[in-house]
Amino acid sequence: MAQTATQNHFEVMAQETVDVELRNVFKFFHTEPAVHGVDLSIRRGEFFSILGPSGCGKTTILRLIAGFETPSAGKLLIRGQLMTDVPAYRRPVNTVFQSYALFNHLNVADNIAFGLRLKKISKSEIDTRVKEALKLVKMESLRSRFPTQLSGGQQQRVALARALVNRPAVLLLDEPLGALDLKLRKDLQVELSNLHKDLGLTFVMVTHDQEEALSLSDRIAVMNQGKIEQIGTPSQIYEQPLTPFVADFIGDTNLFKGEVKSDTPSTLEVMTRSGLTIAIARSLSTPNILSSTVVVSVRPEKIQLSLYTPNVEQNCFAGRLTNIMYLGTHVHYVVELESGDRLTVLQPNTIGTLPQSDTTIYAYWAPTDCIALAS
Amino acid sequence: MQSAVALSSIGLSSCGWKLADVRAQVNTSGPRDELHIYTWTQYTDEELLKTFTTQTGIKVIADVYESNDVMLAKLQASGGGIYSVIYPSDYMVKKMVELDLLAELNQERLNTLDNLLPRFKDPIYDKRNRYSMPFSWGTTGLLYNSEKLTNIPEDWDYLWQNQEILSKKITLLNDVREVMGAVLRLLGFSYNSRNEEQIAQAYEKLKTLKPAVAAFDTDAWRNQILAGDLLLAMCYSADGIKINKENPKLKFITPRSGSSLWTDTMVIPKTAPNPDAAYAWMNFMLQPEIAAGMCKRLSFSTPNRAAIELLPQSIKQNPNLFPPESLLEKCERITPLGKVEEIYDRYWTQLTSS
Amino acid sequence: MTKISAQPTSPNDAGEMPKSQRFMNILEPLVLLLPSGIWLLLLLVLPTLLIFELSLVPGIRPGDIVNPSGWDNYARIFDPLYIKVIQQSLFFALGTTIICLVLGFPVAYWLAQIAPPRWRNLLLLSFVLPLWTSSLLRTYAWITILRPSGLLNTILSSLGLPILDLLHRSPAVLIGMSYSLLPYMVLILYASLEKLDVQLLEAGSDLGANPAQVFWLVTVPQTFTGIAAGSLLVFISGLGDFVNPELLGGASSMTVARLVYNQFLGSTQNWGFGSALSMVLILVVSVAIALLIKFGDAVPKR
Repeated sequence: MAQTATQNHFEVMAQETVDVELRNVFKFFHTEPAVHGVDLSIRRGEFFSILGPSGCGKTTILRLIAGFETPSAGKLLIRGQLMTDVPAYRRPVNTVFQSYALFNHLNVADNIAFGLRLKKISKSEIDTRVKEALKLVKMESLRSRFPTQLSGGQQQRVALARALVNRPAVLLLDEPLGALDLKLRKDLQVELSNLHKDLGLTFVMVTHDQEEALSLSDRIAVMNQGKIEQIGTPSQIYEQPLTPFVADFIGDTNLFKGEVKSDTPSTLEVMTRSGLTIAIARSLSTPNILSSTVVVSVRPEKIQLSLYTPNVEQNCFAGRLTNIMYLGTHVHYVVELESGDRLTVLQPNTIGTLPQSDTTIYAYWAPTDCIALAS
Repeated sequence: MQSAVALSSIGLSSCGWKLADVRAQVNTSGPRDELHIYTWTQYTDEELLKTFTTQTGIKVIADVYESNDVMLAKLQASGGGIYSVIYPSDYMVKKMVELDLLAELNQERLNTLDNLLPRFKDPIYDKRNRYSMPFSWGTTGLLYNSEKLTNIPEDWDYLWQNQEILSKKITLLNDVREVMGAVLRLLGFSYNSRNEEQIAQAYEKLKTLKPAVAAFDTDAWRNQILAGDLLLAMCYSADGIKINKENPKLKFITPRSGSSLWTDTMVIPKTAPNPDAAYAWMNFMLQPEIAAGMCKRLSFSTPNRAAIELLPQSIKQNPNLFPPESLLEKCERITPLGKVEEIYDRYWTQLTSS
Repeated sequence: MTKISAQPTSPNDAGEMPKSQRFMNILEPLVLLLPSGIWLLLLLVLPTLLIFELSLVPGIRPGDIVNPSGWDNYARIFDPLYIKVIQQSLFFALGTTIICLVLGFPVAYWLAQIAPPRWRNLLLLSFVLPLWTSSLLRTYAWITILRPSGLLNTILSSLGLPILDLLHRSPAVLIGMSYSLLPYMVLILYASLEKLDVQLLEAGSDLGANPAQVFWLVTVPQTFTGIAAGSLLVFISGLGDFVNPELLGGASSMTVARLVYNQFLGSTQNWGFGSALSMVLILVVSVAIALLIKFGDAVPKR
């Protein structure tokens, strides 16, 4: 479970420089626990994302790091220093807010210079650094504009520049691309990624968009209801989810609940309530299942379809095609099995003609293409 | 609103229009059984109005004012207004006569004019009472706290002699003529001096007293002297006597070197809508019982001899209500001085702004 | 009653609006503006022009002929005596404005940001409640509180503290005026502070500003329109107040407002000089309003 993952996580971290660390942090609002016993360690120079549905506590964690909230219990360290008594304005951290929070009584250049002016830096150096920052986000020509005169994407860039110009140890981003349209979002994701590579700073981003997290991050923490479900690299999270929640939240999946029928060193056999017997090949990363009820997860793109009985021994089930959706690059099928379960299947668009709806069909997959999760 | 429209309508575009020309409009007569009077707050109460209505059947509506100048300005701005009886003080009568605002009184319609004390039969401000009927009179003096002050004031110079004890615990009237006039009197000059040198001297003398003066106040001193925060207040005899009734420790004196003698009168403006009711009212006020009653209730002196007869001994003998002749001789009436008043006003502004 | 068409009629073939439509376009706004326009004309513009005309006649009195002839009345204002009076009035007005700002801002901030939302309207109402009483009555109440044997000193002496001799001095005037004008300041500031974006304060803090810096660099510029409007209202009201200075200020409290009063309702009856003084007051207020319009909007519009 998550605990085991954290243990692994800390072992790995032991030798590296850690910029942000949360140790068993709790945060209560009235009696509601928004953050419930969270342990996190963010390496220097990482692009770390916290991913989860709304209300899972990810924004709270960001605010705890920034200093806008104080933990109800537990410790928070930035660059090895305990932050319990350090207010937000003294932390080496800068935030890019979801609503940008630009000062609309100042123009772009003055917004960016805001933090620098508080540090008593010489005027000439402020000018140089502001120019640099404007160049970094490609906003030089708009330096005299006011925030109300800028588009969403432009405001976001100014917010980035305003934070980065202070050379913080950690940059916090709160759903930075949430308010933008798809094309703009894609472009800015690339820019963000490039910025991170060029500057080498530690980025901590909060988002509910899993695609964004997967494409930008070095590591992701998946959160649900105040707790961390799993921390890992994007491929780890996707290919080896540790809990049904993670499996379901990241990408699409088919989940089956069932009882362990037999347990050999090479294969796990699970019998679902609907009568299906699924064989799961054991691998090094399959954790020890301690209970007898498990959840089996099969990704839609790993399921094969055949009009005729395929020549496989395990994980082959008969059913009926009930829905076919043509997606251009892929085709999305819904198969209703004889057992009553419903499968979603995703196949690349290689077949010449698509089968008709309501056709009898066989769905099958290799035991190595599914995993068992503790429920 | 009314005044604004009236002023605007008098003539805006070109020069040569007369400012606040009351003569232009003469009201036509109003309803017979209604009488509007414009009077001082202290001169009317419900009982009086009810008695009149019972006697004559005429309904009386009283509007009140606190200063003669306000009354005059309002009259001029509204072109006469709805009033049939007004209560100007003596010097204001002279002014209003000069402005041709008053109707000459028909002496035959007024009974008991002979009842007046000799001093009031032919007053300086209105020969032979052609336009006005004296109604009440009094002096200006000092009300002091006899409990807290060991030596008793007898004259104006008491203030200067006892400045330290009195520091910030005295008020003077908020009236330029009363205050400057009193100081002029103290210096041996007239209340109505036209001599700028004399006025300047009065100003200099006042300036030396100023640090001890808490405020120039015509009304708010009452509560403060009753509460003990003030040791002395300059006030009109009617007010002083009233307070003395409330608290016998607060005593009133008219200064020895003389003070101002004020008379309040009743007049009928030229623009009166109901002159008949006005005469009825005046006669009503001249009735000895009514006049005596008012004197008793509202503590001011009446010029009506027959009324004085009806008063109880204690009131008749009150030296504040009816000062001895010797003192009255030294008292002066305040008269309007035309352009000279600007000199007074200048010194007054200087006094109250430094 | 003219019919106002529900839809704008389209231009005819020649590309012009039909005559009736053009007429309606002019008539409709005119009809809507007419009532307040007439009101302003009669009660603001005309009287001001009248006063201006009067101010040009030296030494005019009621009954005299109005013949504007010169600026003598204005020249008189420059007499050091009257300059002193104007200074006194400005002192009271500015002092009251500053006091109201300093006292009103925390209250408005607390009401807008910190007080529980359920209670806000009730709290605002209770703050405004004193305005429902007569202003003269409030001034008299202050006399009762501030005089040597009054409420304040009774409390102070019972606590063993020295008594304060406030009445008949400038502090009493400032107290009285501030008390009357504070609700206005709080209301106007509240409107501004309610719209304050709390995230901006967090952003300021995030960029390294301590609480004092956040206040001066973020809160104040953001609420500047409210501050300016509230200050202007208090300043103008304070300039015209002569009741508080007279009753609470003691013997040296002559104000411009009282001076104007004396010219019109006093014994001198110099309406010309009074009008000139009034015009000066109107000028001062107009300048203040012009400044507000020019600089009051800290946030430029798109």
